[in-house]
Order: sequence, then C-alpha cells, then structure tokens
Amino acid sequence: MIDTQWPRFQVFVQEKPGAPHQDVGSVHAPDAEIALLNARDVFARRPECVSMWVVQADAIYSKTVEELQNRPTPKSDQLPVIRQTYYVAYKIKPAGTQTLVGSLEADSPAQAMEMAIEKYSGKVSPLVWWVFPAGLVIKSEPTEIDSLYAPAKDKTFRVSTDFHTFTAMRKLKDKS
Amino acid sequence: MDAIQDYLLGLADDELILGHRDSEWCGRAPILEEDIAFANIALDEIGHADLWYGLLAELSGEDPDTYPDRLVYFREPMDYHNIQMVELPIGDWAFTILRQYLFDACEQVRLEALAHSQYTPLANIASKIVKEEFYHYRHTSVWVQRLGLGSSESHLRMQNALDDIWPYTAQMTQPMAGEDSLVQAGIVPDSSQLQSIWQAKVIPFLQECSLALPDLPGMALQREEHTPYLRVLIEEMQSVARSEANAVW
Repeated sequence: MIDTQWPRFQVFVQEKPGAPHQDVGSVHAPDAEIALLNARDVFARRPECVSMWVVQADAIYSKTVEELQNRPTPKSDQLPVIRQTYYVAYKIKPAGTQTLVGSLEADSPAQAMEMAIEKYSGKVSPLVWWVFPAGLVIKSEPTEIDSLYAPAKDKTFRVSTDFHTFTAMRKLKDKS
Repeated sequence: MDAIQDYLLGLADDELILGHRDSEWCGRAPILEEDIAFANIALDEIGHADLWYGLLAELSGEDPDTYPDRLVYFREPMDYHNIQMVELPIGDWAFTILRQYLFDACEQVRLEALAHSQYTPLANIASKIVKEEFYHYRHTSVWVQRLGLGSSESHLRMQNALDDIWPYTAQMTQPMAGEDSLVQAGIVPDSSQLQSIWQAKVIPFLQECSLALPDLPGMALQREEHTPYLRVLIEEMQSVARSEANAVW
C-alpha cells in the first residue's frame, strides 16, 4: 500500500533570544519549507516566537530511559560511518516536552546518543532522549521574524465570552 | 467623496471581500494545517480591511469604532467598491490559491509604495500590514509552485484557474477614480507603475511554475460594477448583523 500521508515534521520554538528551543508538537507537510510555514500558523500565532526549527520526525533517534536500561551494546561498527553534527534534546518531566540542550559530533545516531547521555546527564535525569542530524533541520531566518512571527504579538485575542453572545441570544428569546 | 476616501474604500473592500471568500474554506481546506493557515490569512485580510475602514472613518469625521461595522453590515452590494476578482466564488483549491497569490503579489507591491506615502497615517498602516503580506506572498507562492509543477491534475487545475482569472487581474492595477491628484501629491503610487512592477514579479514566476499566460486581454471594469456573486456573498455576510441591528457584539 502506498502511504499517501505527508511526512510528519517535529517543530521547535524559541520564545525569546537566548532561551532553548522547545518541542511544541508536529505538523504534516509535503516538504520542509512548507513544514516551516505550516508550523508558523499552528504554533506561533499566539505565543511569542523568535525562531522556529523543523525536522522530519523519522530523522529523530529517540530512546526512553526504560529502553536505554535494557539496551544492548550499540553495534555502531555495522553502520556506515557518517561523521556529522547531531542536536541533542531531552525531556525531564513526564508531562513536559523535549528541550534542545546542545549539539555534538558523532559517527551514528546511536553513538550520538551515548555521547549525549555522557555529556548532558549532570544534575538532571532525563526521561526521553532525542538526537537528530543538524543537517536535516530547517530553521527560520532572523530576518523573517518581522513578517512571520512579530505580527501575532499585536493581535487581540477575544475569548468567546467577550462577544456577549449569550446576553444577545437571551434578549432575542425574551422578545419572541 | 474625496479621492483619498474613494481610494481607501477600494482598498478596504478588496481586503474584506477576499477575506470573506477565504473564510469559506474554514473547516474545508485540503489538510488541517492548511485550514489553520488559510483561516489566519482570511483573518489577516479582514484585519487589514478594518484598519483601512478605520482611517476612512477618521477622514470622514465618523466614529472609527462603529463606522466600519456600518459600512460592512449595512451597505448595499452596489455600494461596494471591491474589484470583481475578489468576489468570484472560491472554485477549487487551485483557483483559491492562485487568486490569493496574484492578489498578494499586487498588494505587496502597492503597500511597499504606500509605505512611503506623503500622507503619514496611510504610510503607517501600509508599513504595518506589508509585513504580513510578505508572509502571505510566501505561503501562496510555495503552493502555486508545488501545484504548478506537481501532478498532471494539479497542473491542469492551476492552468484552468489562470485562464479563468487572468482577464480579471487587470482591474487590480486600474487607476481608481480621482487617483491623478493623489499621485501628484505623492499620496498614492501611479497605477501603471504598480502594474509593471506586479507583472515583472508574477509573470516570470508563473512561467517557472510551468503555467502558460493566457492570451486574453484584461477586462476594463469599474469598481461600481459587480458580478451577481457579490450580492449572494453580502447577503450571507450581513444576515446575522441585520437580523438584530442594535445588538451589541
């Protein structure tokens, strides 16, 4: 069967300069460029955003702490060695999301994860680790903030009760 | 009505009617993500209309809080000054996207010029909304590209859409009533200049997207002339407001 579903892209948002990029969810898109645009509309309309990254979800190598406990020794020697930069993200709270914590050079996703655990588990005990090749991440440009993310800040958000619909309906009903 | 008021009404009505048409996709766009994106675009266009109606209210000595609603919900269809291109029904997704792309490209060109208007309140609004138009243009141009260069069906639908809409596009850059004096005063850009900048922007792009420009002349239309589609749109848009004219929303 042919999969007609568009691929899923994971979305990371940086809310202010200097803050880490945070996983906010995912979007479907035919390609990365549209993924970045879709992500803007789904995730950056209300909260503030100064930078957005997307990466195809199946490029993310993900392990939970349980999976890591039972893990066999990684057979990285069987994989073709492609030395590249990987981004590292982890989640600390069960209800939280992945926070981007840094990057490192490795020969494979499994090796990147080994190194990430070594490097980043200091005072924290992450529940889920993610590593993904930096080369596959598509990022918004700082010059795009003005047109993509800044206008959302000026939008007034009216909650449904602001519209006095119930009052108006009640009056209509009383009249009839 | 002064030339500047006429010009603002044209801008506002174009945005309002296109925004309303776009809103008809709400809940029906091809995929969830696009549904959200396109509803955002619809809201943006209606928001831009509100800014232009607001400025029009100030110039007319009317209350900017209530005048836009009066214009939108209690005006007869024949008093609308929008171009015909924006009142046409939504058609298929190809038509909707192509119309939005062609309009966004023109709006972007116009707003960039209006941002340098000698009339400061107009320049301020233009500078504010042109930022959003960059995003609209980007969003619709990636769609035109993918559909134009996509499957044979998507290409055919895009080509049909272009054939249908092309004669209507001329009205976007047709000079508005009394525009000359505004151009001379540096308040609005010359429409013929807008037209050449717009064409230089969209024609090569459409060709890159493998779409052939129809060999059809542009229609010379007045802003007071409308298709029968506008009346239906206005009736639906005004029905709730008119059912209870003094309701507070």
